[in-house]
Amino acid sequence: MKYKDYYATMGLERAASEEDIKKAYRRLARKYHPDVSKEPDAEEQFKAVAEAYQTLKDPQKRAAYDQLGAHRPGEEFQPPPDWGTRFDAGAFSAEDLDLADLFAQLHAGRGRPGASRPRAGMDYEVAVPITIEQAYQGTQVDLELNLQEYDEHGGLRRVPQSFKARIPRGASDGQRLRVPGKGGKGANGGRAGDLYLNISLRPHQWYRADGHDLYMDVPLSPWEAVLGTTIEVPTPGGPVRLRVPAGTRAGQHLRLPGRGLPHPRSDEHGSHGDLYGIVQIVVPSVVSDADRALYEQLAASASFDPRAHFV
Amino acid sequence: MRMELSEVVWLEEHDLSLAELAEISGLPIAVLEDLVAAGAIETRPLHGAAGSSPERFGGTAIRTARTAQRWIQDFEIDARGLVLALSLLDRVERLELQLRALRARLPDGRR
Repeated sequence: MKYKDYYATMGLERAASEEDIKKAYRRLARKYHPDVSKEPDAEEQFKAVAEAYQTLKDPQKRAAYDQLGAHRPGEEFQPPPDWGTRFDAGAFSAEDLDLADLFAQLHAGRGRPGASRPRAGMDYEVAVPITIEQAYQGTQVDLELNLQEYDEHGGLRRVPQSFKARIPRGASDGQRLRVPGKGGKGANGGRAGDLYLNISLRPHQWYRADGHDLYMDVPLSPWEAVLGTTIEVPTPGGPVRLRVPAGTRAGQHLRLPGRGLPHPRSDEHGSHGDLYGIVQIVVPSVVSDADRALYEQLAASASFDPRAHFV
Repeated sequence: MRMELSEVVWLEEHDLSLAELAEISGLPIAVLEDLVAAGAIETRPLHGAAGSSPERFGGTAIRTARTAQRWIQDFEIDARGLVLALSLLDRVERLELQLRALRARLPDGRR
């Protein structure tokens, strides 16, 4: 079993008072809780802090932890020989047990009333980033989780689980899916926990999603914008031809109805969001002599004044 | 090794009773009732049902209730603080949604 220095995790001295522990936890929870923190490693940091607090806030668990002695973080160690009996740790094997699991099951050996009551398995949430193409077609994702489960003696253990989950077509950014019963197993007839999949869309080279609508930039040359044209643009369902009317301005939205992401539960021909092309007028960075001559001819003869409203 | 393929359920498709919501979220029924009374958790609109019908909840209620359960456990927050924090979270999420929508409409290089 690897040692974890719960005091160091919470930035505390070993002689810290209960009030010091509570204050340190509140400060660190505010800093690292994944629901409020923008720190890149917030979730891992908060898990470590919460684990330390669960043990240090309980005087009995803290006394048991202190009796393990001080070791270097990550150092392999064995609890003293009579430690399990003194602190009602129940039967455990130090080799395959995490320190957090050991303290979670502390007092499990006491045979107290309610020890065999049904206990629900833990729920888990995982982030599932998918591409816009996967959201359009539906996909399967491989999930690897390290689930906490109760063993036949009521002790906790970590069980690696791998499985595939089907993400139906129509998932959008920020949407959540529930996989019932795929969290940790329950104990004594308690229900299995659930797994929640938090869907996010990976950035795409062309498309930007807003719900089931998609937006993309459509670059046009100045003469295409003035004269109008028909161009081919990519969509998640394959390229389509788009008619650009004469006199199109930069920033205008060209709507392609039903070319966005499918709505949930829609079939192949079901309802989709729309795709909007945002016009950008792009000028060439290198101009040939012949082209320059044409531009100069246009400049000399054109009556158009884009700054007429300044006068 | 052949892996089992798990089917998922859209959170929006759920239709739950108060007891089912309590079981899924891990929140006591009394706390859920307080959150419903304060408007922090919305009930599903009942179409044409009698006023005495039991309240039903949609999937978004699972999200809110699970967040509430997490905050009670992790922040040791009381009921009044919880209602305030949940309403602020709702506001932040609505603003983030608007921001994402506006960013999607901006041409590349201006986001």
